[in-house]
Amino acid sequence: MRALLLKIEPIIWLLFGQGILIGTMLLTGWVLVVGLLIPMGMVDASALSWDRAHGLATSWLFGVIPVGQLLLAALLVLPLWKGAHHVRSLLIDFGGAERDGAVGSLLYGVAAVGSVLAILAVVGL
Amino acid sequence: MAGPAHPEAMAPPTPGRTRAAPPQMPSTWWSAKRIRTYILFDATGIIYFLIAFLGIRLINALGAGPEAWDAAMESLKNPIYIAFHLLTLVSVIFVAVRFFRLFPKAQPPAMGPMKPPPGPIIHGMLYVVWFGITAFMTAVLAGVIL
Repeated sequence: MRALLLKIEPIIWLLFGQGILIGTMLLTGWVLVVGLLIPMGMVDASALSWDRAHGLATSWLFGVIPVGQLLLAALLVLPLWKGAHHVRSLLIDFGGAERDGAVGSLLYGVAAVGSVLAILAVVGL
Repeated sequence: MAGPAHPEAMAPPTPGRTRAAPPQMPSTWWSAKRIRTYILFDATGIIYFLIAFLGIRLINALGAGPEAWDAAMESLKNPIYIAFHLLTLVSVIFVAVRFFRLFPKAQPPAMGPMKPPPGPIIHGMLYVVWFGITAFMTAVLAGVIL
C-alpha cells in the first residue's frame, strides 16, 4: 500500500496543493453567502432561488467554457484532497506511521469516491 | 537507468532496536505554540472534508429540482449548520493566512531563465487574488451583480 502511495504521490500532492490554494480561494465566498449570509437572513434568499442558482451553475463563458460547472467541480473536488492529505498527516502525528499505508489509502479512496460523486452531481445539472 | 528505490530500502534488515528512535508526538504538544498551530492547520482537513460533502449534497439537490433545492437551503438555517459554517469560515481564513505565508518560501529559486518575484510581492499577490475572488463570488452569489 505504501509503495503505491509513494508512486502516486505527485498526483496526490498536486490535488492537495490545489485544494489548499484554489479550494480556499473559492470556499471563502461560498461559505460566506451560502452558509452564513442567506441562512442568517442578511441576504435575501431569492438571490439563490432555484432558477438563479441553476442558471449560475450552468452558465457558459463565451459560449464554449462551462464556467459554472468548472468552478463548482473545483469547489467540491479539490477540498476533498486537501482534507484527505491533512487528516492522513494528523493521524500519522498521533497514531504513528505503522498503519499509514491502509489509513492513507482509505482516506484517498474516500476523496476519490467523493470526487466522482461531485463530478456526477455537477455534470447532472 | 536505475529503477525507483524500494520504499523500505533504508529499513533495517531485521526488526529490532535501531539507533534512530521512531518519531513520537510529545504529550505536551498542546502547550507548544508551533506544534499546536501545525496540528490545527492539519485539523482543518476535517472541516474541508465535511464542507465538500455538504456541497455535494447541495448540488445534488440543485440537480433534483426546485423543491429539493429549497428544502436543502432551508435546512442550512439550522443553528448547527450555521455554527459549522462559522467554524469553516474561520478555518478557511486560517488556512489562507498560514499557507500564503509559506507559499513564497516554497518557490524554486529559478524556473529556466525566469526567476520568481520577491517573496513579499508573491505574498501580496496571493492576498489580492484571494480578496478579489471572494468579493466577486460574494457579489455574484448574493445577487449584487450578474
